[in-house]
Amino acid sequence: MSRSRATLLTALVILGLAAWDTGADPVRFARGIPWMLDFVRRMIPPDLAVLPAALEGALKTVEIAVLGTAASAGLAVPLGFLSARNVVPRAVFYPARAVLNFLRSIDTLVYALLFVAAVGLGPFPGVLAVVAYTTTSLAKLYSETIEGIDPGPADAITATGATRLQVLRFGVLPQVLPLFLSYILYRLESNIRAATILGFVGAGGIGFYLQTYLRMIDYPAASTVLMVTVAMVMVVDFASSRLRARLV
Amino acid sequence: MPPMIEIRGLRVVLPPATVALYGVDLTVAAGEFVVIIGRSGAGKTTFLRSINRLVEPTAGSVHVAGRAVTGADPAALRQVRRQIGMIFQQFNLVRRASVLENVLAGRLGYVPPVPSLLGRFPARDRAFARECLAQVGLAEFAERRADTLSGGEQQRVAIARALAQEPSVILGDEPTASLDPALTGSIMGILKRINQESGLTLVVSQHQLETGLEYGTRIVGFQAGRICFDGPPEKVTASVVDAIYGDGEPA
Repeated sequence: MSRSRATLLTALVILGLAAWDTGADPVRFARGIPWMLDFVRRMIPPDLAVLPAALEGALKTVEIAVLGTAASAGLAVPLGFLSARNVVPRAVFYPARAVLNFLRSIDTLVYALLFVAAVGLGPFPGVLAVVAYTTTSLAKLYSETIEGIDPGPADAITATGATRLQVLRFGVLPQVLPLFLSYILYRLESNIRAATILGFVGAGGIGFYLQTYLRMIDYPAASTVLMVTVAMVMVVDFASSRLRARLV
Repeated sequence: MPPMIEIRGLRVVLPPATVALYGVDLTVAAGEFVVIIGRSGAGKTTFLRSINRLVEPTAGSVHVAGRAVTGADPAALRQVRRQIGMIFQQFNLVRRASVLENVLAGRLGYVPPVPSLLGRFPARDRAFARECLAQVGLAEFAERRADTLSGGEQQRVAIARALAQEPSVILGDEPTASLDPALTGSIMGILKRINQESGLTLVVSQHQLETGLEYGTRIVGFQAGRICFDGPPEKVTASVVDAIYGDGEPA
């Protein structure tokens, strides 16, 4: 009892410190409500003249996410096997896992800043950023899937005199493929959201328009872009979840 | 005639430090149907899996059909594994693949490796796989997905996969332990027929003593990692059964 009370007390102290340090203040928030309502009021009606630009931005964003996810899906396969405990010796597994964990701690947006500096503005650094993050994150998911397989079929294939590659192809791949596809679609959904923000740092897509109109204080135009963004995310989520439901 | 299987001083220590087999010797002649009996944990599975090195022996030697299994480099090991079919308690089929694809897996040691990775097998090997399916009475199931078959049918597919290897030996690790008694007879009957018609050497573990005695031509009893009986079924007396299934104390 005293131990759980101590835990609760510690948690409250930490939360209190965090609230004090970040200036979290309900009164200040309440005072801001009229300003938010004003913000919303100024966004209505949306300026549909910018709709073609917003749609073009949305298409770019989808392209960035789809291309980046597809490239990662392939690149992550060898990395996933190389960091699966039951496939490679420890001498390979531990370094591979360490590298993946390190790279995965860097977010897509941070990668985008790096790639914009390296190859210039536009959607291409966005694609590279999506690939950099998604490859490592899919590799981690792949390797965990590979570690969870039933070893029986792989044993049976090994016993036929098959090579290691044949064992992977016939004993392991059929077990993991449906899950791999499901993870790829899940990453695609997340990448659509991530790619929306990429435009803020100059890496192309619909985020660029959103940021531009907000800076120009053109709220009606910004609200059109916002609505297109919401519609885009919802359509991709819906399509992807339908596909995923059919895989399992 | 040289023995089909020759095992000398086979010792297996499983990580971290469990001794599964204490220096086992066994010689099996071509055409024998050896049934391995013993309590669970006596070392039957480890013994069978050491014969094709699914489990790595700690010491001792294994030769099959005149070839060394122990000490073989990866290429030589694959060559000798082709000669050794294996069936398992859980069938170990690739559940999402078709029945024919599962049987074709038995050809992997023979077919060109690169096309096989793309799922392409020579027409000759496909035809042979269908023949093997026909041998276990499942010719019409070729295109079905493996996991739509019943347990007994799946084990027959696994036997067809082993036959597709054109093996000299088939190892069975409790192949009927997941099946009901009627199917046990059917699977053991198929193995018996293969043994008699093709002269294949069989080494099969059985948790049911009566079934083992009915089908085997030779019974090998394991007790705590050692062979404690080796002889024809009619020599398995009550005291032998006691020694195999007892608590290991001398009677």
